[in-house]
Amino acid sequence: MRLYSASSEETLRARQLLTDWVGEGFLTKEQYQRLEQETISDLRTTNIFLRLVLFLFTLIVVGAAVGLFFVVFLSRPSEYTTGVFFLIFAVLCYAAAEVAVSQARLYRYGIEEALAGCSVGFLCFGIQIAFFSGALYSAKPDRPQFLVPAAGAVFSLWIWRRFGLWYAFPAAMIFVLFLPGYWTFSHSAQRLIVAAFYATGLICVRAVRSRHRFDYLNDVWSLVEAFLWLGIYLAINLQLWSLSLPAKWWGGSRPASEFARPFYWTTWVLIWCLPPIVLTRGVRHKDRFVIAVGAIVAILTFVTNKPYLGWQRHTWDPMLLGILLTAVAIFIRRWLARGTGGIRRGFTAGRISGRDKLLTNAGSAVFGLLTPQSITPATQTSGPGVRFGGGRSGGGGASGDF
Amino acid sequence: MTILARLERWKEQGAISAEQHAHLAGLCRGEPFSIFLELNVVLYAGVVAFVAGLGWTVTTWSQQLGDIVVLTVLSTLLAVCSWYCYSRTPAWSPAETPAPSPIFDYVLYLGSLVWCVELAYLEKRFHVLSGQWDHYLLASAGLFFFLAYRFDNRFVLSLALSSLAGWFGLTISHWPSHQDAAYREYALLYCLLVCVGGALLQRRNLKPHFFGTYLNIVANILFWALLSGVFQRQGYGLWFFALLIACGASLAWGLARRQFAFVAYAAVYGYVGVSTMLVRGVTDETFLLSYFVITAITMLVALVQIARSFGRPA
Repeated sequence: MRLYSASSEETLRARQLLTDWVGEGFLTKEQYQRLEQETISDLRTTNIFLRLVLFLFTLIVVGAAVGLFFVVFLSRPSEYTTGVFFLIFAVLCYAAAEVAVSQARLYRYGIEEALAGCSVGFLCFGIQIAFFSGALYSAKPDRPQFLVPAAGAVFSLWIWRRFGLWYAFPAAMIFVLFLPGYWTFSHSAQRLIVAAFYATGLICVRAVRSRHRFDYLNDVWSLVEAFLWLGIYLAINLQLWSLSLPAKWWGGSRPASEFARPFYWTTWVLIWCLPPIVLTRGVRHKDRFVIAVGAIVAILTFVTNKPYLGWQRHTWDPMLLGILLTAVAIFIRRWLARGTGGIRRGFTAGRISGRDKLLTNAGSAVFGLLTPQSITPATQTSGPGVRFGGGRSGGGGASGDF
Repeated sequence: MTILARLERWKEQGAISAEQHAHLAGLCRGEPFSIFLELNVVLYAGVVAFVAGLGWTVTTWSQQLGDIVVLTVLSTLLAVCSWYCYSRTPAWSPAETPAPSPIFDYVLYLGSLVWCVELAYLEKRFHVLSGQWDHYLLASAGLFFFLAYRFDNRFVLSLALSSLAGWFGLTISHWPSHQDAAYREYALLYCLLVCVGGALLQRRNLKPHFFGTYLNIVANILFWALLSGVFQRQGYGLWFFALLIACGASLAWGLARRQFAFVAYAAVYGYVGVSTMLVRGVTDETFLLSYFVITAITMLVALVQIARSFGRPA
């Protein structure tokens, strides 16, 4: 089913590990040069920057080519004709992506990724325009219209499996979000359906994962499991809208009173149950992505607990959260450091990969630049004559107003 | 063949020793499993959440708490952070220095952010410099540069660069609404100063690993400034010429140093600038779309050639 052979991907993984190990001094340069010869694969890769630029320009080519086709060959086509042509373009894009991989052996090269992405987009547009009168959203959607997100979800899953593009999986999950809207108007039911879809996915993933614990697919399944846990949590947390974050993509903020009380309080119990479950599973299986999601959902639970209970938020709540996070990080670090060789129960707080250093350096430079802009609060109106905000002009918001 | 099988074969071939095999196979199995990155992210999130809450609390409750309480708390925090950093730091070295403790960088960053909050509070309550924020920003930038070089901290270096940008009148969050000539000139001056300063420091081997941060920030601000000049309705010729020179320089630097972020900057910013010039005033849809098809394919071909020449052979 996958376009790339297991041996090719294992070879690429071995090559990346060799580079990391020689950077950390686990291998000598002579050893690296010798072993590198054994990790030459037939796949053509590039670095992240060129990959992104190639992705962008492929999108421009495809978008402009499709636009040009409609301008030159179809003046005022019917919706059905337009939709059919979009479906044809979806097939062409997908075929081009397959050819790019099978003939040119492109691997995470940007070009084949953009083509595959365009094929998903064109497929959804094509089905929508050809069969459902073009309007993407309406107050009373046709029930069969669920075929649009369903096709998007299925095709995204296919792209994920076939090309191994990790972001196709969350794309499929987003398509699934839109499905229940065509089946029921009850928001509680919609959330339950979405959570059920993700939970089913999780059960399937858990059944498959154990076979790939030490091969190149381990990271792939780890990421998928992490996304599914996150999806389930986001589906059942009814107070995320209070953060003003997901309200837009979830279809607008909804008051808590809209949900039945048993449902509301069940979700409150669940948002407290999920973080320890996810964290435990991540720690037990030493699963980096699942641990990360466990930490994220734990923080989200802390942040949304007060709105859930109807308690008033205080200005010092973020400070308490900050102290808690810092204390937890310091405690874990010290606890691990006291173990033999800085290792306890197979975990260490030390750095053993050059990639970690690279990410830390890049992250500190970027976030050091962005943080002052984002953490300075907007102008408050709580006290007469007292204003504080802005965060202008860098300098940690030192030019903000009181 | 999995990596574990490969390691076994390399050991049998004598390419790696038994100790290396045991160590590397352990790493592949997650033994030990490092949570270095995760703990750093949690520490960073903790500092950011704390300072955000601090700023919010000071904002909301400054009148009720009173100046003395607010300033005492902020000054105490600042003093504790300073004491921690100065008491833990090793002797200064111009080379890259590892942090003396895992939380050191975050304590320094916390102190720097608290300094910003206190400075803003002082000025707005007591008008020490009569609202002349420029001086505060310049002083803060100077302090942050000193701290960044003294303690080898990229967080604080970025703060210094953003404070200096603030002094030059650059407001990143408000940039799109100020595309006037004055901002552009200040941006160019800022780029010149930071680039020359960074290059001089690197030549003198003073924390040369910071140079990449300087260059990336300069490149992005420079390209935005030049593009905003190209977007003008009149007098854009010189800006376009400057953009071409900057793209050439960025491309040459990126290829020579194998820093492909600069190749990407040259490709994207250059394409936007050249396209703006060529399709300016064109309303014919067919021409426009043909232009994008042809030029984007040309760019793809050129980039694939670059990727083939310089990318990993896999």
